[in-house]
Amino acid sequence: MTADTALSNSSQDVAQDGIVAELYAQFGAEAFTLQPTLIGMPVVWAAREQLLDIMKFLRGVPRPYVMLYDLHGVDERLRMHRDGLPKADFTVFYQLMSLERNSDIMLKVALSEADLRVPTVTGIWPNANWYEREVFDMFGIDFPGHPHLTRILMPPNWNGHPLRKDYPARATEFDPYTLTMEGQDKAQEALRFNPEDWGMQRRTEETDYMFLNLGPNHPSAHGAFRIVLQLDGEEIVDCVPDIGYHHRAAEKMGERQSWHSYIPYTDRVDYTGGVMNNLPYILAVEKLAGIKVPARVETIRIMMAELFRISSHLLFLGTYLQDLGAMSPVFFAFTDRQKSYEVIEAITGFRMHPAWFRIGGVAQDLPKGWEGKVKSFIDWMPKRLNEYQRAMMDNAVVRERTKGVAAYTTREALEWGVTGPNLRATGFEFDLRKARPYSGYENFEFEIPVAHNGDAFDRGMMRIEEMRQSLRIMQQCLDNMPAGDYKADHPLTTPPPREKMLQHIETLITHFLQVSWGPVLKANESQQMIEATKGINSYYLTSDGNTMSYRTRIRTPSYPHLQQIPAVMRGGFVPDLIAHLGSIDFVMADVDR
Amino acid sequence: MQYKLTRIDPNTPTDQQYPIGQRGNVDDPMKQQVHRNVFMGKLEDVLNAGVNWGRKNSLWPYNFGLSCCYVEMTTAFTAPHDVARFGAEVIRASPRQADFMVIAGTCFIKMAPVIQQLYDQMLEPKWVISMGSCANSGGMYDIYSVVQGVDKFLPVDVYIPGCPPRPEAFLQGLQLLQDSVQEERRPLSWVVGDQGVYRAEMPSQKEKSRAERIQVTNLRTPDEV
Ligand code: SF4
Repeated sequence: MTADTALSNSSQDVAQDGIVAELYAQFGAEAFTLQPTLIGMPVVWAAREQLLDIMKFLRGVPRPYVMLYDLHGVDERLRMHRDGLPKADFTVFYQLMSLERNSDIMLKVALSEADLRVPTVTGIWPNANWYEREVFDMFGIDFPGHPHLTRILMPPNWNGHPLRKDYPARATEFDPYTLTMEGQDKAQEALRFNPEDWGMQRRTEETDYMFLNLGPNHPSAHGAFRIVLQLDGEEIVDCVPDIGYHHRAAEKMGERQSWHSYIPYTDRVDYTGGVMNNLPYILAVEKLAGIKVPARVETIRIMMAELFRISSHLLFLGTYLQDLGAMSPVFFAFTDRQKSYEVIEAITGFRMHPAWFRIGGVAQDLPKGWEGKVKSFIDWMPKRLNEYQRAMMDNAVVRERTKGVAAYTTREALEWGVTGPNLRATGFEFDLRKARPYSGYENFEFEIPVAHNGDAFDRGMMRIEEMRQSLRIMQQCLDNMPAGDYKADHPLTTPPPREKMLQHIETLITHFLQVSWGPVLKANESQQMIEATKGINSYYLTSDGNTMSYRTRIRTPSYPHLQQIPAVMRGGFVPDLIAHLGSIDFVMADVDR
Repeated sequence: MQYKLTRIDPNTPTDQQYPIGQRGNVDDPMKQQVHRNVFMGKLEDVLNAGVNWGRKNSLWPYNFGLSCCYVEMTTAFTAPHDVARFGAEVIRASPRQADFMVIAGTCFIKMAPVIQQLYDQMLEPKWVISMGSCANSGGMYDIYSVVQGVDKFLPVDVYIPGCPPRPEAFLQGLQLLQDSVQEERRPLSWVVGDQGVYRAEMPSQKEKSRAERIQVTNLRTPDEV
């Protein structure tokens, strides 16, 4: 969806959309309220009582909505601009994805503060489980029928629901943190795993199960991630992933930073993805602002995003092979990453978190001589990739460790909300850059690599192939970099072009306001999904006509990927779990945000 | 040189806040009267310096990472930066075998008791490097789930600024830790002498390089690579 088509999306167009007509035919038009937004998909409000029927209908309709892409809540109590929307104190929204239609639908349910309950949809989509727990944790909304409704991000003994509007954001609004010996014991005790809580047995007639706690600090857990294994010898009978050790409250942060000053926080969500994270946020803001950026900006953005994709995949490759027991690849991969950083630093001035994209452009034009840097990187990489493939992926030990390990099918992947290379490893060709091109990807020639077995080996191979394609895209950026401005000529471009500042007092004042308070965006909602390094990442922004976002929802790919682990690992062995963890490619900031 | 003394009482009441241990500023214990004996004093000096030299050149890091900063820390461990030059390449996966812990990343309230536990499991002598703004002060995350600086409960030896600090900055931090280890006074054994740990008050790096930094008037423009 490009900015043009998104902007023309009025409610009339949406009602013509196939699915809304189908819903009307099934449930009657009076059952729904249609909300006009810039999200680029029909947004319909429905009654709580009908929710499950509608969900089942959408799941079973011809060309069905096979994936629950996102589910979260909004605290509507302080929202000023709600014209024409059903009365609500809180909202729970569901975004469903149909791959055959290549389109989505968003369903919203209004709730009143006195009765914060929505029936669980875990019976229809298993991956609703964690999302509903998170909504419970963050808003205190109850989901009757949920198999295990407990906190997920905050510690079990936490007070309050952080995403509510009356919950303070800053740590400095609370008493300074202290830890006593007693407090430490208590907190550790609260984390103790109790199998009965999860409906697990400690023993059967034949065996006593062993419960093994892995994490929250473990070298192959890739950060602060914990998973508790129920073991029968080496075999994993069941397991329970436990997250929330890396919750930096990026969503709450969006409600207190200006549209502009939130950009650096996006870098730190998928922290190996650098400016790739800026992209969905910036594109969503630009939809709200109605900015169309010059072709040069689009191309620069794509080039940098693909460069970060390579750097992230290299990190993946090094650690994936290290988890399988190979020491040296990580040294090679980091040498290559250093090369990529040379380019990134030359262009953006920083390494990991450049925060370099801006509303309506990028921070700066490409520096003189950038071509040489990019070219030397593009020349360097292919032979290295071949070497990785020969030395590692053709290596008998690696193949033995990963072939057929932790395999899942496309159907299972969709059921759990798996996207990105992990989905494509199952043989399903779905890449947003092709399916729903954004930021000018439609102008590039590249292929979407797919594999077929959906196992740990294929997931590794996918990354190598993807790096080759990214190099191809970068080469095209290098060959065809359009001339022109690095910023859009638009009143909401932030920071505004400096040349325009010093002409008269008017321009100076606007410049000053926009830099100090930041731009004010019209009340509306928008969203942008992108094919990020690890899968589909999206920012769903609600503006209430202010300098800050009213609600920022970040849907990250790693979250469902971790939720899926038990479904994949039941019956596997402990070393297979390590291979699987290595092959998922997740960072905890991308899970807990 | 001024020293900071830590002496941990095994009978500390459990409502005591971390970091545990009495602290006070004292003069160099080696310069005190008892050590003034010409012969014994020299011997002790040499012994101390020798032991510290050994300690500082084989610091084993604990493989512990919290978030983004950890990526830059690992970068420092790999080939392009090669931490082995400083004798700190023996990364340990168990806190019991490690000498120092780098708090590389954001310290979350949910994680803090776990960090404390891991720190407690490390054996003396042990040190802590706080890497990155998050670990130093909460950094850009002044938010409900983040502890505003790991020094709220851990004793930190070196702070590395940056978000994230470059791998080179980590290496500099490591060398600063080495310098400070060289100046330390610790018991040579758990039965010999005073059981306090005396950490030297090292000079502030900011002050040290101020004059030089203030000299810089022209910065290279970023318009050219
Ligand atoms: S200091 Fe910056 S780079 Fe380091 S963990 Fe915090 S946010 Fe990440």
